[in-house]
Amino acid sequence: MIPVGRWLVVQVGRAGLAAWAIASLVFLLSRLNTEKSIDLLLDETDSLHSTVLNAGEMKATQRQAVAQRLGLTEPLFYVTRTQHAGVVSWHWHGGHNQYHRWLTGLSHGQLGLSFRDGQPIGPRWWAALAYTLPLTGLATLGATAGALALGLALAGGPQATGPTGWRAALHLLLTGLQGLPLFALALGLLFAFANPDALNILPAYTDSATDEPWHQQALRLVLPVLALVLAVLPELTLLLASALSHELGTNYATTARAKGLTNKQLLRRHALPNAMLPLLTAFAGLLPTLVAGAVVVETVFALPGTGRLLAEAVMMHDYPVLVAGVLLTALVRLLALTLADALYVWADPRIRLVP
Amino acid sequence: MSQSACRSTHTGFWLGIGWLLLVLASGLAAPWLPVSFPPAVPDLLHMAEAPAWADSPVHWLGTDPQGRDVLTELLYGARQVVSISLPAAALATLVGALAGGAAGFWGNSGVRIPWAGWLAVVAACWWWLALPGRWTVSLSLICMAGLAWWMSRRLPPAKPSGWPIPFDSLFLGILTLLGAVPRLLIVLVFAAGPALETSQIVALLVLVAWPEPARQVRAQMLRVRELPFVEAARAAGLPGMRVWYRHALPHACQPLLATAPLSLAGLIGLESTLAFLGVGRPPDVPSWGNLLGTLQQEPGAWWVLASAGGALVLTLVALQQLGRQLLKRT
Repeated sequence: MIPVGRWLVVQVGRAGLAAWAIASLVFLLSRLNTEKSIDLLLDETDSLHSTVLNAGEMKATQRQAVAQRLGLTEPLFYVTRTQHAGVVSWHWHGGHNQYHRWLTGLSHGQLGLSFRDGQPIGPRWWAALAYTLPLTGLATLGATAGALALGLALAGGPQATGPTGWRAALHLLLTGLQGLPLFALALGLLFAFANPDALNILPAYTDSATDEPWHQQALRLVLPVLALVLAVLPELTLLLASALSHELGTNYATTARAKGLTNKQLLRRHALPNAMLPLLTAFAGLLPTLVAGAVVVETVFALPGTGRLLAEAVMMHDYPVLVAGVLLTALVRLLALTLADALYVWADPRIRLVP
Repeated sequence: MSQSACRSTHTGFWLGIGWLLLVLASGLAAPWLPVSFPPAVPDLLHMAEAPAWADSPVHWLGTDPQGRDVLTELLYGARQVVSISLPAAALATLVGALAGGAAGFWGNSGVRIPWAGWLAVVAACWWWLALPGRWTVSLSLICMAGLAWWMSRRLPPAKPSGWPIPFDSLFLGILTLLGAVPRLLIVLVFAAGPALETSQIVALLVLVAWPEPARQVRAQMLRVRELPFVEAARAAGLPGMRVWYRHALPHACQPLLATAPLSLAGLIGLESTLAFLGVGRPPDVPSWGNLLGTLQQEPGAWWVLASAGGALVLTLVALQQLGRQLLKRT
């Protein structure tokens, strides 16, 4: 019997610690050079209205105003190190620093203010999640169902000779797909199915189409979901197929065959439950991969979800949005790990939760 | 496997090698090739034109929606593969092999540093950071280090003393930290500032790519360090560093031979994804990802998709093939 209880606590604790550490690291690094981030912001706004007389003085007041608005005038961390004419001194600031404010804001569920317009970024994330959650949820379901079906089909052939015929072709196709970057896949789909010159059966671009009937909006999700599914399907399928063919070579499979079970019964009733465990491990990595994939897919198909929000934040040097993205993705991974552990216990009755 | 199938695999393998050599050569020699159009310069008369081989000078593979010659962009795009992805993959493999090898070989208690050494290191850090009480604290730490050293000389201990460096815990901690977020996201966050230099992009790609080879080498090293020949080398009295570097590490790096091409393929995919999203580099640097990104303005440009997408897919498939063949041979 394996003491999963303590292991799960350790696993989740470690992932939570890693989430906090990486988000803090990104937060501190992004604000290390405040001057530069203000410069980048002002460059963006300057290009919008560039008729400024007396530029130097304006610039200084403008910078001060921007720093004041975004709370960048406070020290970054609890302590700071200053160097004046070769004399180094350390200062303790207590709670009046940016990092402390960020942490206390997080504990109240506030993600911070955007560098772009000074608005809170929480509501923006919730609005974007309304697009991304259906996308990733459907992709997870589709990938799991597809992997089960294709994995069973791949492993169903004769064992001795290796895959032949259509199974070999499918295997080759999946290995080819496995290495393909997601953006090339999505572009290929866009070209094949949403192209005015070729097949134009599925609509792709959402241009302020919030008043559309729901079935039209659902149709727009088909291609992005398909792209995400195709991106993660090969790994899951090949993993499951190899686990299944390993199980088919074991003694209990021979016994089951000797009892007169058909190949199908053997696969579904006996081999599949045992082959599920490696699949569950891969499942824990699936959700974060899909979140990262959403960046690419939502850019290609112009969906206003979290991935697009992140891609735009990168373009606009809007670091608070990126820090929130890192934090939320790390939390998604935490969730996926916990879920996978729970499924482990469900899939393998030998594993018991020991307090 | 039948003989004809075997022969066709071999043909595919050599075709793949040939394509990779072609990419390498065009990446290295792009500035000296006699192309009729310079890179990143729009031909304003011919924007988003399909290949038409009647005009002169000919756009052999057409032009993209910004009027750039597709053939030139492809050749210069191979330069990105050679100057960014290839060095990044090589460096990531090297860093991963060393870090994973060290973590696997020495574990958490393999290297002990005597107390005097630790005290001296703390004193040096205190002095360097100029923490409060710079002189007094670092001097007293140095004195304690000297005392500890003198004591250890006077009383030779029966068992190894000192405090071990926890290589393995450090290694696993860093891996957990980097694994908390998908690598595309890490790269995006670090590339969100102003456009990066080539060396900075390479460093960024190494940062996200080294954990994979490191994990493999560590797993292999845990097996290798128990093998009789490593034990024999230790018993012969060789210093630990030499046993690690000359005897254990070459064996532990065996699996890297097959996975290095796959790691390179992953980095080429990541690099072209960055170029496609327009992150980290100025938008006029020619690359395959950038070229494919122009498809968003002109979704019907089949010649761009076919040439740039084809080049990318061929390269990735050839690298996969190479990895599989190397796996079979080892």
